[in-house]
Amino acid sequence: MSKRKAITKLQSVLIAVVLIAIIIGAYFYYASQSAQVQKPVTLVIAMDTSSIVSLDPAKAYEFEGIVINNNVYNRLVGFKGIDYSTVYPELADSWNVASDGVTWTFNLKHGLSFPSGTPINAAAVIYSFQRVVQLQQPPSWVITQFGIKSDTMKALDDYTVQFKLNAPYAKGLFLSCLAFPVASIVDPTVVKAHETNGDMGAAWLLDHSAGSGAFTLAKWQRGTEIVLNANKNYWKGKPGVDIIDIKEIKETLDQRMLLERGDIDIAWNLLPDQLAALKDNKDISIVSSPAFQVFYLGMNAGSKPFNDPRVRNAVRWAIDYNGIINNILKGAAIGLQTIIPKGIAGYNPQTPFTQDIAKAKSLLADAGYPNGFSVQLTTPASLSGAPTADIAAKIKSDLAKVGIDVQIQLITYAELLTKYRAQSLQMVIGRWGSDYADPNSNAAAFALCRTTSSSDTAKQLAWRNVYANNATSDLVVQASRELDDTKRLDDYKQITGIILNDGPFAMLYQLVIQRAVRNSVKGFIVSPLTLEDFSTITKQT
Amino acid sequence: MNLLTYVIRRLCLMILVLFGVLVITFFVSHVIPADPVTAALGSQAPAYLIEKVRHEWGLDLPLQEQFFNYLWNALHGDLGISIRTSRPVAEDLLQYFPATIELSTAAIILAVALSIPLGIISAVRRNKLADHITRIFSIFGISMPVFWLGLLLLAALYFKLRLMPSPGQLSFQIVPPPRVTGFLSIDSLLAGDLNAFFNYLSHLILPAFVLGFASLASITRITRSSMLEVLRQDYIRTARAKGLSSRVVINRHALKNALIPTTTVIGLRYGSLLEGAVLTETIFAWPGVGQYAVGAILFLDFPAIMGSVLAIAVVYSIANLIVDLVYGFLDPRMRVGD
Repeated sequence: MSKRKAITKLQSVLIAVVLIAIIIGAYFYYASQSAQVQKPVTLVIAMDTSSIVSLDPAKAYEFEGIVINNNVYNRLVGFKGIDYSTVYPELADSWNVASDGVTWTFNLKHGLSFPSGTPINAAAVIYSFQRVVQLQQPPSWVITQFGIKSDTMKALDDYTVQFKLNAPYAKGLFLSCLAFPVASIVDPTVVKAHETNGDMGAAWLLDHSAGSGAFTLAKWQRGTEIVLNANKNYWKGKPGVDIIDIKEIKETLDQRMLLERGDIDIAWNLLPDQLAALKDNKDISIVSSPAFQVFYLGMNAGSKPFNDPRVRNAVRWAIDYNGIINNILKGAAIGLQTIIPKGIAGYNPQTPFTQDIAKAKSLLADAGYPNGFSVQLTTPASLSGAPTADIAAKIKSDLAKVGIDVQIQLITYAELLTKYRAQSLQMVIGRWGSDYADPNSNAAAFALCRTTSSSDTAKQLAWRNVYANNATSDLVVQASRELDDTKRLDDYKQITGIILNDGPFAMLYQLVIQRAVRNSVKGFIVSPLTLEDFSTITKQT
Repeated sequence: MNLLTYVIRRLCLMILVLFGVLVITFFVSHVIPADPVTAALGSQAPAYLIEKVRHEWGLDLPLQEQFFNYLWNALHGDLGISIRTSRPVAEDLLQYFPATIELSTAAIILAVALSIPLGIISAVRRNKLADHITRIFSIFGISMPVFWLGLLLLAALYFKLRLMPSPGQLSFQIVPPPRVTGFLSIDSLLAGDLNAFFNYLSHLILPAFVLGFASLASITRITRSSMLEVLRQDYIRTARAKGLSSRVVINRHALKNALIPTTTVIGLRYGSLLEGAVLTETIFAWPGVGQYAVGAILFLDFPAIMGSVLAIAVVYSIANLIVDLVYGFLDPRMRVGD
């Protein structure tokens, strides 16, 4: 009898715990109250923003940081919608290049100002470029590669800026680089007011903004959210939503649940399987675009067996490209076998390689490997959400059919890059994202290397795969300086053709970016360069 | 030895332990054959920029020099600048740590509040239905991976049944209170914002339960077994023979003695909750030090890795010290100074 009593007492402890939980249930009351308050139109995006290092345009270099800065700052020039083949005026109204090919003059729009009231003029432009040059942060090379320095920029008057480049460059190349967010124009008055120890406002701009874009950075609470407020006086017109709340949600399954429940409007990082599962949901659309990101299999041409072009071709003939695109990536990719992605000038649509085991075997036999060989393939487990480990397994099984025994080595991307930069990988699955919408970004990476020794200055992908080619190197340099667009396209046709059949790469595919969006959201366009424009988005409430 | 001397001695030992932790963490994290500079700058960065950044981060110095520089600065309260966030590591830790402390404290409170009664019921009703159910429950708790349980509960209670709020610390429509202490529960009360407070508590339940579930299971098991052990002792038989009620026998005589091993487990579990928070924090979008540490590791952000490990080691050591002091309260024989 008394024993029963004791237990009842203990059970009462349990009941107390339950009671506490019930008190917590009171939140439903508060939550429902708060839901009735009239609110500004807020677009909620779930995104993995954990990789953002800084939101200072002179420093931001990660995809997520770039998309935010694209909406907070303006550049002299930019792109419109999904057209990345033409550069359009933005803060600059017009421009011209002198007959010497190195003197560029930009005429700024009149009457524009930052939210603080500071006019957007030549002084602001020069100060912004000076910051990039002096701070020397990771993306600075996009600007400094043209030899831009303090003494090569000049304000001809309040609204005219002149740049003197270190050589004549193709128009598309220079202008595309000016459209990259590192070339954003910052409000010099605001930035100077927050300068500490001569840092040109770098510490403050890390998580504050001083731009003239459609939005201003209201808050960056690391690990939680980034909040952008609409710039009501935006010179292109008031943005379609009042607030953009970017929630840091790393777990993609969470993003999917939040989207389906309607707690968020856009899920940024869903995986191919999750996107496929959403296809039947009537409230959700998948918005996609081929990205300027290409995935490739690199082969170290510095030693046997890949020093023989026939072996590299055998590998290209042995891979089942469609299997990778359709079965592993489930539509998150399109076929691409040349080095310049679709959407950029100079894209070469040739796709000669399909899986042909007999041809691959005969090439291997010609090269002296009738029984194949063993090789190590290094890859991270995943890269930009792409399941590269699965792709490696698929390549292993494809190459096994021609007698090549592939051992897969899975390592972190940081470790991979270190080894890759030391030319010490035999075979690698890699990704190349164009920094700017000009073919030079890819051509220089894949085809510019004159020596495989450490004296090479760029040490890009061709060098890392120990592949030097003077013919393509000459063409890449020539094309980057070619002022005649037709001749330039012809150069790229030659470069892509040579690398296609001789280079140390088997190009696997071009990534397709897919974002899942609730149907109440209109006007959202995916950008191949992650330069999404949020100002055109509207949301039905 | 009086209590104060004891605590001081323990704190001195703690400094030695922390030094050991720093040495091991530093050298283990630096022998990984990967370069944080190339990781940070991506594959496009030109060579001159890589060298410049390497110099800026002090990574071009010999390893032992880097270590002594770090140690010297740490002794002066400077944990360095995080490579990934460009901010002082101490500032970052102050931002991320409160969320983890709140989560793991809630988890341990939930675990203890449920596990001790469950353990006692299980022991007292040995081999009866309540015991069987409790034991099955604890086997689940110990064997179920945190990420699986977390996603399962979210899918069921948030996504399907709509009984629980979304991942994150607050519902998306709630404006967070101004940051004062960093502890959302305290900050929302300081701001007099009951709405945010209750909303926060409702968001805390599920991650705290998931994080605490494994602890709940192991504390239940240890309580049960030590209770069974104690209930077999002569003094319990004597107490019962004296005609004391079962309630008094269990609560006053048995429980206090049975709780000694339980306390040890609770102390150890609290420390491991800080580590276990990594997965829970990712699944529940909880901006805690676990997420910060993982981000630091993936980025090879050495100062942040060192800072996070140091902070976790400090909390772990303090939790152990508290456990040792609680022993004295539970068992006078173990009291310091006697």
